Amino acid sequence: MAPSRGPEALPRRLHTTLTGHKGPINAARYAKGAAKYILTGGQDRTVKLWNANLGTEVKTFAAHGYEVLSITVSHDNAQFASSGGDRSVFVWDVATAVTTRRLPGHLGKIHVVEFNQDASVLASGSFDSTVRLWDLRAQTRQAIQVLEEARDAVQTLHVGSSYITTGSLDGHVRTYDLRKGELRSDYIGFPVTSVVPTQDNQTMLVTTLDSHIRLMDMSTGKLLNDFTAHVNTEYRCRACFGHGEASVICGDEKGVVWAWDLLDAKPLEPNPPPKVHNKVITWTEHHPVEKGEMFTASADGTVKIWRQTEE
Amino acid sequence: MTARLKKKLGNLGVDPSSVRANESFCLIGTPLPPLEKTRDNNEFVPLWKQDVRDEKGRRRLHGAFTGGFSAGYFNTVGSKEGWTPSTFVSSRGDRSKKKEARPEDFMDEEDLQELKDSRKIVDTADEMDLTAGTQLGHGDDEEQDSVARALEASMLPSAKDSAGGRILKKMGWRLGQGIGPRVSLRQRKLQDLQAQALSGHRIPGADVEIPDDDEEANKHTYAPRDTPVLAVARKDNTHGLGYRPGMSLTESVGGRGGGASGPNLSTGFGLGALNDADEDDVDVYDAGATQNSRNRTAYDIIDREEEEKISIGTRASAPATRPNSSTETFNDGKPVLLGFVISSKPVSEDGWFPLPDVPKGWKPDPNRVWGKENLQAPEEVSASPEKWSKSGISADQRGNMLGETPLPSAPRSKDRERLKNIAADGMPPPGAAADSSPTPAPATITIPRTDPHIALAALGGGFLPFATNPAKQARYTAYLESQATTDSPPPPPQPLPGQRIDEFNKELEDYAKAAAIFKPLSGAMAGRFTSASIVEHGPQIREGLYTPSAEDLAEKEAELKRVEEEKMTPKEHAARLGMYGPMTRETQPWQPARLLCKRFRVPPPAEPEPEAPTFAQPASEASTEWDQSAAPAASTSGSNAETSTGSTSGGPRDLANIGLGEDDTQGRDTLTYQRPAMDVFKAIFASDDEDSDDEDKEIEETEPEPVKAPSPPPPQPPPPAPDVVMAAPEVVEPVDPATFKPTFIPREGKAKKGLDSDRSKEKKEKKDKKRKEKEKRSMVSFQADEEDGAGLQISPVKDRPKKKRRKEEQVPEDDDSMWVEKPAPDVVKTLSVVPPTEPEPESTSRGRKRAIDFM
Repeated sequence: MAPSRGPEALPRRLHTTLTGHKGPINAARYAKGAAKYILTGGQDRTVKLWNANLGTEVKTFAAHGYEVLSITVSHDNAQFASSGGDRSVFVWDVATAVTTRRLPGHLGKIHVVEFNQDASVLASGSFDSTVRLWDLRAQTRQAIQVLEEARDAVQTLHVGSSYITTGSLDGHVRTYDLRKGELRSDYIGFPVTSVVPTQDNQTMLVTTLDSHIRLMDMSTGKLLNDFTAHVNTEYRCRACFGHGEASVICGDEKGVVWAWDLLDAKPLEPNPPPKVHNKVITWTEHHPVEKGEMFTASADGTVKIWRQTEE
Repeated sequence: MTARLKKKLGNLGVDPSSVRANESFCLIGTPLPPLEKTRDNNEFVPLWKQDVRDEKGRRRLHGAFTGGFSAGYFNTVGSKEGWTPSTFVSSRGDRSKKKEARPEDFMDEEDLQELKDSRKIVDTADEMDLTAGTQLGHGDDEEQDSVARALEASMLPSAKDSAGGRILKKMGWRLGQGIGPRVSLRQRKLQDLQAQALSGHRIPGADVEIPDDDEEANKHTYAPRDTPVLAVARKDNTHGLGYRPGMSLTESVGGRGGGASGPNLSTGFGLGALNDADEDDVDVYDAGATQNSRNRTAYDIIDREEEEKISIGTRASAPATRPNSSTETFNDGKPVLLGFVISSKPVSEDGWFPLPDVPKGWKPDPNRVWGKENLQAPEEVSASPEKWSKSGISADQRGNMLGETPLPSAPRSKDRERLKNIAADGMPPPGAAADSSPTPAPATITIPRTDPHIALAALGGGFLPFATNPAKQARYTAYLESQATTDSPPPPPQPLPGQRIDEFNKELEDYAKAAAIFKPLSGAMAGRFTSASIVEHGPQIREGLYTPSAEDLAEKEAELKRVEEEKMTPKEHAARLGMYGPMTRETQPWQPARLLCKRFRVPPPAEPEPEAPTFAQPASEASTEWDQSAAPAASTSGSNAETSTGSTSGGPRDLANIGLGEDDTQGRDTLTYQRPAMDVFKAIFASDDEDSDDEDKEIEETEPEPVKAPSPPPPQPPPPAPDVVMAAPEVVEPVDPATFKPTFIPREGKAKKGLDSDRSKEKKEKKDKKRKEKEKRSMVSFQADEEDGAGLQISPVKDRPKKKRRKEEQVPEDDDSMWVEKPAPDVVKTLSVVPPTEPEPESTSRGRKRAIDFM
């Protein structure tokens, strides 16, 4: 346990390793709710559902013709959406493992998909530098709206209750405020690969390809903190908040998982951390509710689930 | 487009006025057939009638042999008629149409190709058989009877004609006609004889015996005989030409041998070349033997031979007979070559002169001659132009006389002068050199002359021939200066101390030459060129391989950075420095699609159109939102005013008028009533899951009205969305909008109690705010108060947010009852259309009010 009131130490004990993907894993997500399951999508064109506790593969979802680059899970865990090189968003029914919708329209590979809170709208950001918003209620195949402000591939996006935040390789984080009807674009200056807001929607964690992770104030666009030490210049390495948003976690291109104190931006012990993956860590995600669990997904084809050392 | 569709499209973010949206997909009339003929003949044929034919029009199974699988009729093996035999149809009528079946008709592509190939071979062979027609019947059918042969020759066309034969036939020639003018009988017989003599065979036609004196026969002319092809026997022995084994000596020397002149041999049996003709072999039945005496024939032949011999032997006469040859001969008797003529002039001999006597004691001195020539040359050259001009005619004049068009650009006089000068000046230096150099002992200083203008040009030309040696350059300049001015020349440079005179002379010559060399360009063309800018300005050139030092690199990098920074926008600059904030933030308006807002349960942001945010705002509203809504208040009140004016068009709407019959517009709103937006219902009844297009539509339709909300937002902060949702269900569920009748249930009692004070406050405020309806409202509220205490309630916290501005005012708490209004149109209409009054009873129409009052 971390001393005094500092952030919790990172879960560093390897609980289990999920092996089964035949290539790099590009995206992985915890299920919603109690988050007992993990969904991973990889270069091998499949999405796999894992039991995080047992480390067993539950299901394989195969329909993609190209690599899977992004996954999002709906609030009720009944469906999830995935996207990738085949330029369509696939919406899956988890139980039957079939696609319920395929949403074509993008002109390039789709880097990111995200449900809104009640899974009535799906946002997808693509290499064609657009974000398309799909209506999942109606049967129409047309996008509700297309956000075309980005000047380069959209790498990440987040859909909040009344706003949509996108991060693109042109170095901008754009926040589309539905309520105000305005677009706030913050120039970060480096290709943005992931944007993760805090629960209170006041700040967001912006990962850029200059090996920096920045904590930005969403309302003013000011820089609150800057986390460095890791290596991230080529790949999308998603950073996330630790438990209680007291720390920032990011796996880097060396296969090392870094953790910082959110407030003073100092790397937590051990520093430097040990190397845990053979290749770049593409996705790091902390368990949404449990405090001692997180996982890392890597290009070496494995997902490792980390737990707090028992005491 | 219907309004409904328009709205729907609007929802989807499609601009209904765009061209694409208006594109029509209806085609009227029958489309024209495509311009280019499509290959598919079955395009317009029903499926079962379609059949597949190959390129020859024969019906074939559909790809049965090429990988297809559909065969026969509709993928069965039968035909449309099934297996029933077709009835007999006589083909007698169209026999003429029937083409004769050729083997090719039954061949497939492969066979056809093969056939073609084989044909090719035949063809080539054909062409090679040049003599086909004439060879016919010479050797092998010798034994055939002559009549049969003649018949055959005339009747059967030769199987293969030679190309010549075919051409002749096309020109009208027929077999047996011979070539050439027709001849008389006698001539023909002669021809026969000749042919016979030449080939050793008897001409087939010649056998027909025609007596010489037959009158009938003599009356006609005959086709000439075909010239027999000379078939040369292959020579496969080593004898000399013309020698035949067994030849007697005399024969071999030149006498005529027996072979050709011998007796006619019977043709029935082949006689080899090696066989001697015997007595037995003599053709006893030879018709010609008796008729045409051998001698005669021999004579003819000899005659001809002799002639030829003569012509060959006498050379002199031969050329005379040649058509174009000249009659001349050379002295030695050789004939002149064809086309040449002997010159009448004798060839002139070269004159030979005796060598002059060399005086005694003469020694060759080339220098003298050399010097003399050099001396003369310049004069001649310089004089020559004048000489030419003196000679009378210039080139131009000559050209004129010859009628030439003058050259397009004759040299300008100035240029010509300059050229002349150059020509004149070009020479002197050598002359000067000649002057100075030959003097064997230049004990004196000879200063070569340089023309002033040359010197000036060389001076001004900027060229430094002796740049490496500044001292020499200075002397060169001095020399030029001395030459440049003619009037009072500065003293020419003096020899350096210790320099020999001749060396100095040489140096001066060099100067003169240098001036001459480097002047011409500047002299003749100076006007055309500009001297290059000074060389020293060029970059410094460093020797060796360039290896940038660290400083250089750093410098370059710094410069690059500077350039980059200069290029950077302030935004980028700020980002680079980490100064995130207002510098890096850009804000711009953005219009989310309505549907999107709906899906997100967010009120669409205030748009250009004022009415936008009127309906339920279930979500918790930020204070800003309220501010915003406050802002539109003005506009809404405006619109309100407008509606009210609409209703009061008949006259001023006075409190006194309300509810009275005077108001002629009273019933109108009843008629025009429209249900409030479904969204309102939804917001209240909060079954958020089902959404339908209808709703959208309705919302849109009703939107305009809701705007009317005249009142500013209530002072109380709006309750959070969840409240609304929660609240709604309890009240609502039983309510069916279709059947529900408004009953005013003092349900708000609870809330009211708590809020009573609030309510009164609000009321006051509202009154202040509302201008027009103040009195009215106050009255109404009054009534409401009387009627039931609860009715007054303006704003139960929960309810208000759903209704939003418009509703807030009209029916704070009662909404449930209000919403339902369908059955009581009066009420309803007022609700929705008329500026609502606070308590529901009042807010409902005046008429309504009345009723209530009565109750």
